[in-house]
Amino acid sequence: MIRKISSYLLLFLSLFIFYYPQVNASPKDITISVSLDRDTIGMDEQATLQVVISGSVQNLPAPRIPTLPMFEVYSQGRSSNISIVNGQVSSSLTYQYLLLPQKPGIFPISHISMVYNNKRYEGNTVELTVLNNGTATTPKLSYESQGKNGQKKDYFLEAVVDKKNPYVNEQVTLTLKFYITVQYYGSPQLSEPTTTGFWTEVLGNKTPYYQRIGNRNYKVVERQYALFPTQTGKLTIGRAAIKTTVAIQSRNRDPFSVFGNIFNQGRNVTIRSRPVTIDVKPLPEKGKPKNFSGTIGKFNISATANKYSVEINQPVSVTVKISGTGNIKSVAEPVMPQLTDFRIYKESSNENIAKQNGKISGTKIYKEVFIPKRPGKLQIPSIGFNYFDPQQSKYKKIATRPINLNVIKPEGYTTSTELPYPSPEIVIGSKINDIRYIKNKIGKTSPIGSLTVTSPLYVIINGLPVMIFVGLVFIRRRREKLNADIGYARSRIASKMARKRLAKAKSMANIKTGSDFYAEIYNALISYIADKLNISPYGLTIDKVKELLGTKTQNPLLIDDVIGLFQKCDYVRYAPSSITQEDIDQALQKAEKIMIAFEEVKFV
Amino acid sequence: MYKKTTIYLSIIFLLVIIPQLSVSAQVDEFKMANKFYQSKDYDSAIRLYKSILKQGRESAALYYNLGNAYFKKGDIGHAVLYYLKAKRLDPSDDDIRQNLKFAKQFSKIQMEGVTLNPINSFFVNIVDPYRLSTLAWISSIFFILFFVLLIIRYGIGINTIFVKIGIIVLLILLVISSSLTTFKYHNEYIIHRAVIVSENSSVYTGPSNHSDIEFEGVSGLVVEILGESSNYYHVLFENKRQGWIKKEYLAKI
Repeated sequence: MIRKISSYLLLFLSLFIFYYPQVNASPKDITISVSLDRDTIGMDEQATLQVVISGSVQNLPAPRIPTLPMFEVYSQGRSSNISIVNGQVSSSLTYQYLLLPQKPGIFPISHISMVYNNKRYEGNTVELTVLNNGTATTPKLSYESQGKNGQKKDYFLEAVVDKKNPYVNEQVTLTLKFYITVQYYGSPQLSEPTTTGFWTEVLGNKTPYYQRIGNRNYKVVERQYALFPTQTGKLTIGRAAIKTTVAIQSRNRDPFSVFGNIFNQGRNVTIRSRPVTIDVKPLPEKGKPKNFSGTIGKFNISATANKYSVEINQPVSVTVKISGTGNIKSVAEPVMPQLTDFRIYKESSNENIAKQNGKISGTKIYKEVFIPKRPGKLQIPSIGFNYFDPQQSKYKKIATRPINLNVIKPEGYTTSTELPYPSPEIVIGSKINDIRYIKNKIGKTSPIGSLTVTSPLYVIINGLPVMIFVGLVFIRRRREKLNADIGYARSRIASKMARKRLAKAKSMANIKTGSDFYAEIYNALISYIADKLNISPYGLTIDKVKELLGTKTQNPLLIDDVIGLFQKCDYVRYAPSSITQEDIDQALQKAEKIMIAFEEVKFV
Repeated sequence: MYKKTTIYLSIIFLLVIIPQLSVSAQVDEFKMANKFYQSKDYDSAIRLYKSILKQGRESAALYYNLGNAYFKKGDIGHAVLYYLKAKRLDPSDDDIRQNLKFAKQFSKIQMEGVTLNPINSFFVNIVDPYRLSTLAWISSIFFILFFVLLIIRYGIGINTIFVKIGIIVLLILLVISSSLTTFKYHNEYIIHRAVIVSENSSVYTGPSNHSDIEFEGVSGLVVEILGESSNYYHVLFENKRQGWIKKEYLAKI
């Protein structure tokens, strides 16, 4: 019994003696922490071992990694971080190692130690489980990498989503992983997967890395998409495809040909991913606020005014800012409260989207102009906003803080309903949309094709003054001619006068008044000739008449007749008793005959 | 004596009333047509409006309403035709101008490069807002006044300085107004204009369908008729392009 106790005590003591000074002498703050990026891996996979040494000392040495026979160990480099807080220097060193499993099993990793100032520090123990199958997390991978004839594929394309069962409008991250282990030429061309039913935002490519599957090292290129399902139910993300040219591996490689690979020809291949189906669930009805706009994510809201003291009828610009993670584009505009003290106008809205850590986030800014209608202390009440938080599966309501405004009434201000810039509610442009309406009254009708210029009324009205003018001018001309030419006038009235005298002579044509008759005949003829010749009848002798007539007419018979008649008249004047009725009738006939003949003679 | 007066009176009465009756019949028809138009029965409206035309009467409002009815039916060609007829009778009516302009926009082809002779367009702009009859009566007034002064000067013989100046001034006015009247008359009645009233009316390079197609005309285009040959009109378009169109595709204004 005592022996037993003493052996225990001895053991305790020996342990104490062995350990105590070390523990006691070491600076308390030097620590070694060992961690693995994943607990379980498949045979085709790799794990990253991270060793962090931290302490308030400088120049920490590298840790000693014990031999790990069941892994191939590759150092992945180190990073250091030194910080000085309150004069205390603290530094940390991070070492990364890549572990490639050699066989399946559960392997503890312990005894990672470091010696500093002749003291030994040891890290914690971690355990890594290596599964017998190809992969632990993505069992599909082994299937994807498995070729038809059991051989590992040289390249394949994998599409992975982070959620199989998201809410509608919740972000699903799609990762396309392109694995390739053979040489390829040029840059592969990607056909994006079809994402019908989603609002898609490309997050971008990640830096390529290498992954070991089986006994082959693959280069992995990842590309990520943020998908927001816009409808519920089963949605399918279509195949993505990559076209590239890969080197053809010759199966019968000539061991002596050094340049064999150089002359390998390329082969165009198209590598397709499998379609991925996800089941989108609707938002829960429980606790759903009224008029919920369907915004999903995690958001904050704030409101600020550009000034808090303002004159009446002067605008205040209020900025409402909604920021957070989620589909920022689908964020609905917050409902502005109806306020009687303000006129409210929308000014602008804009959004900016950021892609961080595979999540879509961003800010949406709405600007509203508030114009206070009355002076005093006015408040713009809080503006509420609802969203659904998919992580907590809960509806959340957030709101801005109310904004207090001090509205000042300027000197001489009279209350008026006029705005500083009145804007009409409706503006009617000059653009017409339809023909004008028909006319109600037929108006004055006229015969088809009738023209004013050809109507009789028009012709008469215009013709009348012309006729009057022509008539008047004709009359006037005539009168002027008469006035200007007495001779012409005498010539024109000569026969008239002669006829009058002959008529008078005719009334005296008998034996009783025979001498008077001849005197009248004589006067008629002599004055007729004088008028025609435009000479004075006085002193006109028979010889003179004969001479004048001779120059005017070529008819000698007419001259003889005239002279004969004159001589007869002369003769009768001196011997009136010798007159017979027969002579009188003959003289009258002769006189008339002479008159007719004279009308044809031109004297002027 | 009493009987004779009655007969004369009744003859005068009839002479006054019979045209009045026919006028009131046209007014009734017009109103009926307007009712059809209102109830969107454009075909019936057009038939009634045209029956007034068949009685040999025309008016700007009648042509205008006809144009409206055709426009509502979608017949741009006839709409333009009747608006132009209406405009010729009453060029000052704003409704007619507006609807003509509006209807022309619906023509599927808009003529490019419409370059009018500047002098011609200057005179067109002057006479455009006036009716031919207005211009004719204005000329007539100057003509009569001119002759009144001529009568004073040459008929009566009063030859003062006022009469002399008046004669010169009136002569100038008379020459201007009668030239404009003549221009207007020539432009609207001597030059024969027509409207294409058929869609897809080919414009040929010669008066037969064996000729090449110059371009495809559409309804609503206004052309000037230069001549004719068999059943083709030789037409001049607004942008000075020429061609031959089948007579049945055209309606003269």
